[in-house]
Amino acid sequence: MLATDDIDAWTTLARETLARYEVPLVREVATRLIKPRTPIADDELVDRCMSLLSNPPVLDRRIKDLPDPARKILALIGISRQPVWKVGHLITALATLGHSEGFAPVLALLECGLLFPVLPKGDAPVPAFEPWLGLAGTLHAKVYALPTVAARARGESLGLPTLTGETISTLTPRFADGLDWPLRLSVVWQLIAESPARLTQNNSLFKRDLARLQITDSLTGADDPLPAPDPGILAFFWAQAAGLLKEGDGDWIAAPFPLTWGPTLAPGIADLWSALCAVESWDPLTGYAPSDGGLSPTPTTGILALLLLARGDEPVTNWLDPQQIADWLWEHHPSWPGLISQNAARTRGRDWIEAYLLGVAYPLRLIEAAQLDGWKVRLSDLGRYLLTGAPEPLPAPAFPQTLLVQPNAEVLAYRQGLTPQLIGRLSRFAQWKGVGPACTLELTPTRTYHGLETGLTLAGILQTLNQHGMKPVPPAVADLLRLWANKRDRITAFASATLVEFQTPADLEAAMARGVVSVRVTDRIGLTDDGRDPDFQHLRLIGNRDYEAKPQRCIAVDDDGVTLTIETSQSDLLLEAEIGRVADPVSGDVPSVRRFKLSPTSLRRATTLGMTVSDLDAWFISRTGNLLPASGRLFVLGPTLPAPTVSRHLVIHLPSSEIADGLMQWPETADLLTSRLGPTTVVVEDENLSRLQGVLAELGIVLSESDRGTISRSMLPS
Amino acid sequence: MNIPSTRLPAKLHRRVCLVLTEDAVLAEELLARKKLSTEVAGRLADRALLVRPGRIEQVLEELRKMGHTPQVINKPVERS
Repeated sequence: MLATDDIDAWTTLARETLARYEVPLVREVATRLIKPRTPIADDELVDRCMSLLSNPPVLDRRIKDLPDPARKILALIGISRQPVWKVGHLITALATLGHSEGFAPVLALLECGLLFPVLPKGDAPVPAFEPWLGLAGTLHAKVYALPTVAARARGESLGLPTLTGETISTLTPRFADGLDWPLRLSVVWQLIAESPARLTQNNSLFKRDLARLQITDSLTGADDPLPAPDPGILAFFWAQAAGLLKEGDGDWIAAPFPLTWGPTLAPGIADLWSALCAVESWDPLTGYAPSDGGLSPTPTTGILALLLLARGDEPVTNWLDPQQIADWLWEHHPSWPGLISQNAARTRGRDWIEAYLLGVAYPLRLIEAAQLDGWKVRLSDLGRYLLTGAPEPLPAPAFPQTLLVQPNAEVLAYRQGLTPQLIGRLSRFAQWKGVGPACTLELTPTRTYHGLETGLTLAGILQTLNQHGMKPVPPAVADLLRLWANKRDRITAFASATLVEFQTPADLEAAMARGVVSVRVTDRIGLTDDGRDPDFQHLRLIGNRDYEAKPQRCIAVDDDGVTLTIETSQSDLLLEAEIGRVADPVSGDVPSVRRFKLSPTSLRRATTLGMTVSDLDAWFISRTGNLLPASGRLFVLGPTLPAPTVSRHLVIHLPSSEIADGLMQWPETADLLTSRLGPTTVVVEDENLSRLQGVLAELGIVLSESDRGTISRSMLPS
Repeated sequence: MNIPSTRLPAKLHRRVCLVLTEDAVLAEELLARKKLSTEVAGRLADRALLVRPGRIEQVLEELRKMGHTPQVINKPVERS
């Protein structure tokens, strides 16, 4: 959603749209727009088009040259201040104005570069407009005009009739302060800030969100001649169209208040007026009206009803009966009569027109109203500014001291001092309770915290309350705000920070002294206070690691099985958290070398933390490529196994495993041996030694006692 | 001693999800919360907890359920 006054963003969008036209199409558009005397190279077409679109005198000539219906489309877009329109709505509005050419005027504007298609995301080129329209669907396809271009057409005639009004000097006009809808949108903004909303694929509300938006208590305005039905739902879709809500991961969340919500009323109301023209899922009589695939009559009927009030030569101070507006629209609007309720149809739509004008336009201060045999309406000063080109009304006198902060943390806000800017600011840190003649807010921990999250400071909040307060903020309330704000400093979460790891603690100290980092995380790791990249001029980068990348092997195990050497270039941050659980750092190494050592103590620590041998194996495989080394296994498993035993044995060392095999197999010798220790070693009990020697002697084998007890080689059978 | 003109060798770890607490006791309190501890990849220091990649929102939600009001860094700031 681009802000209407963000000229650069719209220019960039138009350039990107033109760049997606295939060359024959952009050439066709350029020919009609630029009317060049000499051929233009392909790579200059877009630049030349953009250059002309920022040339007011030439633009005026192009607009004047347009066919009547095309010119009226631009005028309607200009007056509405809404750059983006559905093609279906433009065709409906044109039909109401007496033009039944259908899509042709829209196509004419597309072909001469004064209107652009809203293209789906991606790079798909646009060969022609008809295929794009076919894919997007004629009724719901969207087009946009550059705000600067549409503004040039604002003064063009729409051909609306001049309805005869009445001059009634005895009438006392009623007019609103224009704050009701900004306040209601702010209440809904807070609802969504606390809990985002989600829409179905048909852009309608789910039950849960429908229920919480159908609130009325806190939305009752100061002066509602005819309260709008489902004001919360209207406020939601209106806030969506006005950019107060934005889409994120399928949810609609609160967005920053626009800059147009400033210290004076007119810019903010102009913004809301332009957004109103895009609100579809609401009907002035029935309230929430989700689309069933067709087009809602609300945008076109609403804007045309107001434009009928801005009639030609008639003094705009004359009063009109809403029936006059309804009668004309009843006769000329192609779909509105068929879409409103039967009850409303009995009065030829008078109730609908009254509900729209008095429930929406009046609180927005676009019209004044008076009662004489029913309601009479006329444009207000703000309405004339937006719809007839009258000068912007002078801002109302400022009443900066308009808040009363009470000791119970409630705030009374008197409307005469409220501005859209103050409404937006208060919405960030105080909860709206009521938006009636005297608005009420409540300071709460949640709202205070939200305000701090959106960039406000405690000092800023207090400043706002004191600056606009009739009295200083009570000390008890200031203390409460301070307490709530301090709670926020207890935990700091960095969603995506850059951590800087130094080789030594001394390097980290030096970095902090130089201001490279300001937050110490460990004795060697720091970060800046905003978590962003540090100033690299003080650093020599020796590694760069993405936290979200998979952990990789980065440890070499020495032959002793207990010394672990970290390969610094490969290591990741998680290693710092993990390795301390299983090993202890080795001191005395040079800064570029980092070693850790397994020990019975360190591995006992790991098992105390719940790591099993399998866990240790898994960790070692991920970090070294091999299982927990044997030394480490000894430390972990040793205490858990049955106690080993020690005993003294006579061990016979044999020259070969074949001899050992034979001795173990031949019953005469096997019965004398206790066990076999290895391939060439067997055990004999002391009491059997002499008998064994005797048996071996019969074989010609001399078993002599020595330190190692070997058999004489000369006695071996050949 | 490093001369200010000497560049300090350093390694960068980017896109880190990190929670810093006021003190070690608070870190212990957070780790004792089962739902939070499953989202914590490791304890970098007494007061520094590494959060599993992409799980920061879940951690923030759980912290708020616990009644905490964490300061979140690297989120967009409003203009008005």
